[in-house]
Amino acid sequence: MPKLMIDDRKIEVAPGVKVIAAAEQAGIVIPRFCYHPALGSVGACRLCAVKFLDGPVRGLQMSCMVEARDGMVISSTDDEAVDFRRFVIELLMRNHPHDCPVCDEGGYCLLQDETIAGGHAMRRSMGKKRTHRDQYIGELVQHEMNRCIQCYRCQRFYQDYCGYRDFGVMGSASRVYFGRYADGALENPFSGNLIDICPTGVLTDKPARFKGRRWDFQRAPSICIHCSLGCSITVNARYRELVRVEARRNDDINGHFICDRGRYGFAFANHPDRPRQARINGRDTSYEEAIQTTTQRLSEIARTLGPDSIACLSSSRAGVETQMSLKFLTRSQGWRQPGCFVDRSEQNSVTAAVGRLTPERVVSLGEIEKADLILVIGVDPILEAPMLALAMRQAQRAGAGIIILNPQPVSVPFAYDHRPISPDDLCSTLQKWTRSISSQTRTESHFVEKHEEYRGPETPSVPCPLPPVDSLLQNSRRPMIVCGTNIVGTAIIHAAADLARDIHSDCRFPGLFYVLPGPNAFGAAFASAGGKSFSDILPDIETGNIKALILVEADPIFQFPDQERVKNAVKQLDLLVVLDYVPSRSVGFAGQSLAEMVSPAPLHVVIPTLTHFETQASFINQEGRLQQTTPVHVNGLPMSQLTGGKHPPRKFRSDVPGAGARAAWQVLSELEAVLSSTPADSITFADIWYRIGLAWNISVENRTEIPGNLRILSTTVESEPMTEHYRDD
Amino acid sequence: MIPDDLKETLQRQIAATDHPREQVMDVVFILQDRFGYLSDPLLEEVAALVGMTPLEVEEIATFYEFIYRKPVGRHVIHVCDGVVCWMLEYQSVLDYLRSKLGIDYGQTTDDGRFTLLPTCCLGYCDRAPAMMIDRKIYGRLTPERIDEILGKLR
Amino acid sequence: MQILFQNRQPDRIASLEEYRNSGGYEALTLALKKYTRAEVQQLALDAVLLGRGGAGFPAGRKWMTVAESAPFPRYMVCNADEMEPGTFKDRVLIHTDPHQIIEGMIIVGYSVLAEKGIVFIRTSYENAARIMEQEIVRAKEAGFLGKNILGSGFSMEIAVHRSAGRYICGENTAQMRAIEGKRANPTQPPPYATEKGIWGLPTVTHNVETLACIPHILRHGPEWFKSLAATPTAAGTKLYCVSGRVNRPGCFELPMGTRLSEIIEDHAGGMQEGYQFKACLPGGASTRFLPKSFYDIEMDFDAMKQAGHRLGTGSIIVFDHKTCLVAATLNMIEFFARESCGWCTPCREGLPYIREILSRIESGEGCNDDIPQLRRMCRYLCNTYCALAPGAVSPVESLLTYFEDDVQEHIRQRKCPFK
Ligand SMILES: Cc1cc2nc3c(=O)[nH]c(=O)nc-3n(C[C@H](O)[C@H](O)[C@H](O)COP(=O)(O)O)c2cc1C
Ligand code: SF4
Ligand code: FES
Repeated sequence: MPKLMIDDRKIEVAPGVKVIAAAEQAGIVIPRFCYHPALGSVGACRLCAVKFLDGPVRGLQMSCMVEARDGMVISSTDDEAVDFRRFVIELLMRNHPHDCPVCDEGGYCLLQDETIAGGHAMRRSMGKKRTHRDQYIGELVQHEMNRCIQCYRCQRFYQDYCGYRDFGVMGSASRVYFGRYADGALENPFSGNLIDICPTGVLTDKPARFKGRRWDFQRAPSICIHCSLGCSITVNARYRELVRVEARRNDDINGHFICDRGRYGFAFANHPDRPRQARINGRDTSYEEAIQTTTQRLSEIARTLGPDSIACLSSSRAGVETQMSLKFLTRSQGWRQPGCFVDRSEQNSVTAAVGRLTPERVVSLGEIEKADLILVIGVDPILEAPMLALAMRQAQRAGAGIIILNPQPVSVPFAYDHRPISPDDLCSTLQKWTRSISSQTRTESHFVEKHEEYRGPETPSVPCPLPPVDSLLQNSRRPMIVCGTNIVGTAIIHAAADLARDIHSDCRFPGLFYVLPGPNAFGAAFASAGGKSFSDILPDIETGNIKALILVEADPIFQFPDQERVKNAVKQLDLLVVLDYVPSRSVGFAGQSLAEMVSPAPLHVVIPTLTHFETQASFINQEGRLQQTTPVHVNGLPMSQLTGGKHPPRKFRSDVPGAGARAAWQVLSELEAVLSSTPADSITFADIWYRIGLAWNISVENRTEIPGNLRILSTTVESEPMTEHYRDD
Repeated sequence: MIPDDLKETLQRQIAATDHPREQVMDVVFILQDRFGYLSDPLLEEVAALVGMTPLEVEEIATFYEFIYRKPVGRHVIHVCDGVVCWMLEYQSVLDYLRSKLGIDYGQTTDDGRFTLLPTCCLGYCDRAPAMMIDRKIYGRLTPERIDEILGKLR
Repeated sequence: MQILFQNRQPDRIASLEEYRNSGGYEALTLALKKYTRAEVQQLALDAVLLGRGGAGFPAGRKWMTVAESAPFPRYMVCNADEMEPGTFKDRVLIHTDPHQIIEGMIIVGYSVLAEKGIVFIRTSYENAARIMEQEIVRAKEAGFLGKNILGSGFSMEIAVHRSAGRYICGENTAQMRAIEGKRANPTQPPPYATEKGIWGLPTVTHNVETLACIPHILRHGPEWFKSLAATPTAAGTKLYCVSGRVNRPGCFELPMGTRLSEIIEDHAGGMQEGYQFKACLPGGASTRFLPKSFYDIEMDFDAMKQAGHRLGTGSIIVFDHKTCLVAATLNMIEFFARESCGWCTPCREGLPYIREILSRIESGEGCNDDIPQLRRMCRYLCNTYCALAPGAVSPVESLLTYFEDDVQEHIRQRKCPFK
């Protein structure tokens, strides 16, 4: 472990670490443009110059290009280094437009910061500035080439890191141009990261343009809910409107980046049709009245027809608190256990996957990058868990082999070995490999060494011949089994887990990684234990055995494939209660009232709820990691909708317009309190977590702030037995 | 745009290498010699031939001096502005060409015969001043010699 | 003593027969039949064969860095890019006796087991490219190239790669990218090209002239090669190009270490009528101006280095007293600014900035602050990714060192005093 001195601070770093990263470990941030921890060093911008005073390297050198070695004495504040850096800034500013006042990067621009920090303030050059024509590169990213300082980050991210080939660098010398061959939308589903990565205002967030300065925004750390990976994000809001989402660094999961779905998929929170006021049969009403009507009708139904005639359904998008509150409600009233899935087979698959993740085998997304062999079973990564594709690409760039078992080829930005195994043979093939490997003796050779020639991000999606899968698994040290839960049944989910379990050996440490259908599908598996999916209670609704249906952030009425059947079933209900924050089918019936749709119509109560941007909410990602969001702003009608996009009104009022929503778990707790005739006004977030802690038999010390590294696995928490109630048909 | 027989030749040439990409400039040169300049449709066909995206071909094509991405005349005159030619009568050669052809750098004569462009030292400093037309070098230029050279080019 | 030029004839290249009659391809036979690969490497090392491409790195040492266990195929690249202004020796050599270059490539190929040879040649040398292509075919027909050369079991093919024109493509790491069909941005070692070069495989690059020396070293031995030089520490002959204001510009093969004055006076025919020697660039545009005080300097790597100069390619550009050196420097900076690959800031942005200041001075709009600013830039432009920018500022820096008065005069008179 090299020991060195940077700015009189002694540090010890791992071998191979560059000086710029070593300094960062000691808390010294050396200026940089081209260097980025995820993209590595290329020594292009020359801003990270430091002076090597003693040791194996001497003189002015780029700290991003020199490896930290024993005995180095380095100064980042040496006069020559400082002057050199000022010189580099002077050169870059020679052509940079002085358009900071209208630039969306203004205020959090690395170039602004480094210019100030570098001390260059006077323009000496009298030459003309270089100008470029901008390109249209789609609706997500704005292109303003004149601001470019040629750090090559965008091109390196786009081509090397992501493996997409429609954006790059053209021209030479001082005419280099970063863009596309022709105007057109970027093809890379991770293109939004260009915004975070560009150190100046060339690539900015297009939908968020001119919506405000960084310092105008309310900002909060949050979690993306667009797939089961649960990437870390930072959300920005202004005037009660969600404005933009940025990637938030999380080395366990998403590293520095997120996908475009995660970055741009927040329109639901600003949706003009979002439910903001309680409604009974399409008529606005007060929250109190909605609660009263609901509880009255529920009590009636329970009294006359029995508690079994009330069914509740939540979803894998609802937070843990909501899912569990619903469970507590049903339990306290003796109703049916709640479900969380529309479809039975989905519930079975998720339950099977969650049941098979053990502490020894479970891996995070970050660890996928360290695999030396990845076996992908029944997942389309770009569709189901985009960042997984990016992680796999990084593994491959470091030498891992990737084998995709899928009847059809999938579109991913890396070369892979495609094994088109038919769905019928998949399970038996996995079992065959498991048997073959568990019975073989271990070998010492590594996959990486043996098959180096098969690497190559140069030729995406060109299948390359590889030896039999079992012998590859045999020779791998860190194989990862990545398995879907969407198109494969429980048998394959179990076979994947068996494979991971049985190939474990002294020299092989397999990881098991499931992709689940939703940001909190994992929690849904716990919450729905003992409950039924919508497809299983539908017959009971049709026969009139269920008379009241409570939907909590769930929309089975839209999602169930046989719409005619659902419509007829709804006629049989007496009461339909919908709690949600999106104008879902179940909430709004596409602009029609329920009575206009079906007759006889049940009593239709809608109670608006809060998104995870407006309330604290917890989600368990596909590896069992419990994560929480922080509210970024209060709920209410966005100012832009209130004033029709005009300037904020000058008349003041004491309430927030359109702020009728409550967190779903709060509504449910209140329903429970009213139905049980206990005081309702004191149920807090901590109370909910107290109850969840009891239910799962986990101790969460600080119940309002749960650490992001807490794993909730079926083997570690106590819950009701998560039996698969039904066999795969 | 590329006739079938030429395409087949190119395909064979590309198939003979381990890395199709290595052939990209060779293919571009062949096509440019034939069609005058690398137009967008040509560039796209090159990309398809060597298994690259148009952007990837553009990244390289725009890097170099002798790939023309805009229409040029039948003959491109590159006048050497290297330091030796500069010292030895470069300016008078350029002035003569300008007035004779009635065009400046970057322009093409109305009859589409000539395009005038500068170029760096051609490596013929022993015969300065020099110029290159259609990848052929002409040294020790004088107005008479220029007349003679251009006269032979249709 | 004409070695590389022994078969030189006016306006005609030496044929394969002529080359063989003068002992050509004997060295290859020796290498394949008599010497081990290690011995070949040692011979080059003992002969102190320093790279003629400008950097002067010992050739034998470069080959030794190709590890025995390194993967295949390996590459041998002949660097005939020669875009250094003022340099044309490689062109003359190819037009004189191409087979000694081919033979050199095969010998180096054998010594590192590189079976893929590539001649990287600039656009304006189309003629030379055709010569190489043609003579490669002849060498192959004669059994010196192809499968199992001379029954030795060693096989090699050589292909010609035409550059589309950028000075940076002469830099060997950029050149490897260019050959791969990528943008020619240099890369910084480690890994070295001899470990991971073209397509990640070991690659040895040599200048045309370096390669041409190799057959002769093998045939006559290192001691003979060392004895060719005019100075004790140097070895071999050198192709000196002379251009500019001299009577007989051209390329001359002379003992390494021949005095500058001798080259100019005796071989290049002295200064033209009415012109006096003012300065020269000794090794292309990326070397420092040599003023008259260095007129007798020995032109070899060591002596030049000791004098604080660089031999570079040994291509002497002679400037006379009527030529404005500020304008000449501006011309060269213009060239370097245009030819920068655009990768690192000091070179990409600094060279146009120097151009701006120099052109201001040249047109009489300079100010006194410009000189220190230029000095600062020259110092900092040496801290770049590759050697292009440090080379590019050599004329500027030496202009300020030796001819500051000229620069001052421009500023004082508010015009170019030479116009
Ligand atoms: C900007 C730049 C341009 C170069 N151009 C050439 C060139 O045109 N020809 C050449 O042989 N070497 C050139 N070199 C040197 C090469 O990088 C390399 O050192 C040389 O080809 C190695 O061959 P040698 O060992 O035989 O000298 C250049 C170097 C730099 C930095
Ligand atoms: S990968 Fe999934 S969780 Fe991550 S940002 Fe994208 S959609 Fe969100
Ligand atoms: S950060 Fe080191 S050169 Fe750019």
